[in-house]
Amino acid sequence: MSTTLTRSSSPGRWRTVDLVTAAVLGVAFGVVFWGWAVVYAALSPVFAVLAPLSGLLGGVWLLPAVVGALVVRRPGAALLAELVAASVEALLGSHWGVGVLVSGAVQGLGVEIAVAVFAWKRWGVGVAVLGGVVAAVLEGVYELFAYFAGTWTLGFQVLYVACFALSGALVAGVGGWALVRALARAGALGAFGAGRELHRRG
Amino acid sequence: MSRDGTPAAVPSGVPSGVHRTVHTPVDEAVEKPVDGAGEAGAAVDGPVDAGVPPTPAQLRSAAPGPPVRSCGPLSLLAVSLLCALGALAVDDWQQAAVALLVQLLCLPLVVGRGASPGRRLVPLAVAALSVGWSTVLAGDSDEPLRTAATAALRLVVLVLPGVLLLGWLDPGEAGDHLAQRLRLPGRVVVAAVAALGQLATLAQVWDQVAAARRVRGLGAGRSPLSRARWAASTAFGLLVDAVRRAGRTAVAMDARGFAAAGVDAPRSWALPAPWRRADSVLLAAGALVAAVPLLVRLLG
Repeated sequence: MSTTLTRSSSPGRWRTVDLVTAAVLGVAFGVVFWGWAVVYAALSPVFAVLAPLSGLLGGVWLLPAVVGALVVRRPGAALLAELVAASVEALLGSHWGVGVLVSGAVQGLGVEIAVAVFAWKRWGVGVAVLGGVVAAVLEGVYELFAYFAGTWTLGFQVLYVACFALSGALVAGVGGWALVRALARAGALGAFGAGRELHRRG
Repeated sequence: MSRDGTPAAVPSGVPSGVHRTVHTPVDEAVEKPVDGAGEAGAAVDGPVDAGVPPTPAQLRSAAPGPPVRSCGPLSLLAVSLLCALGALAVDDWQQAAVALLVQLLCLPLVVGRGASPGRRLVPLAVAALSVGWSTVLAGDSDEPLRTAATAALRLVVLVLPGVLLLGWLDPGEAGDHLAQRLRLPGRVVVAAVAALGQLATLAQVWDQVAAARRVRGLGAGRSPLSRARWAASTAFGLLVDAVRRAGRTAVAMDARGFAAAGVDAPRSWALPAPWRRADSVLLAAGALVAAVPLLVRLLG
């Protein structure tokens, strides 16, 4: 591939294409967030009946972190992609103002924890699901205290975090993993491990 | 940056940099490190003073607008964060109301006369309503309405300063300041700014992908489900294009010595990142506003 200009041996040393791809993924998902926020707002009356179920919509916010980690496969990729996506949201004017930057950091760190558990060596669907769940739990707890001021009953709080975790596992974990595979199939990941593995196998 | 930076392009509630970097996102992002990267010391001794273009904050200062226009990105970010932190101290609706009142009194300093921030505030209104309503339903307080009003007002106090202040943030300028003042790693910052410069390009790509799909008979149907599927597959096309574009951008950046810059000699920057008096004023005033909830709580 012509895009592998700078070679790297250690996972800690980022190539330029790693940096730019993680950041651009963040921007692209920031644009997707912008659309998703409209859907979110449109659907919120539905969740007025049982507010904690709105956690089910939350997995989409974690996608850039999971996809960034699985594509770039370096420590910090999830954090960079998610922070850039959050910046786009903050620049366009979001629900939570500067709070989205904190959310971005929390979510990115959640996925970083999951990939660090496997020492940046495993990039399958299991790691993706774990990343989605850890990020969702951290973000859910942060939201309950920062935005909802801890006013919900314990049961509702647990239900909210559980819904968020389920959404994180399915949408961000399985969905993010499938998305990276689809990107690799489309031939967009030639410069990355995810793309090379696919071609080696088939 | 911005050789075309006409003061008329100064924002009306929309981040100026998003538009300003539209025209040549790749070139602009790449030019910056190149200035200092190579050219064997020419950049060091060159006619720096004569050639340095004005920073975005200086351009904004020259144009009419509310006083906050002269502030740089770091003070904007710091005050947004401080105000959000301060709002965490709210535990009663009266405190929140006082804090909101103080914030509203500061509004003329942040919002221009002609520019209406209305569009940026719609999501905040939705969020406050949903927080308030869900607190009524999911809370276990004796006075649900009072708790809900507190939660909703607290959210407005938490979010409002950030939404309004970050409207003045220029991504490219923020990158200059984060790297030069806060000493964040230059490569990461420039890559992020280069990516943010593609924001408007991505919106165009969305239109192109949508048009191409329509020509091929892959339009959206009428049902919400078919629309959702259409939006999802168009978003996938957008992602593929974004990743390919990132690869090309990276090649262009490396061709100009991006990866090597900063290894032998410190990376230099096209624009300075000055901390100006307006920044100090904003920081001091913002810290006072941010402290209002805490002060009211301690005194009351």
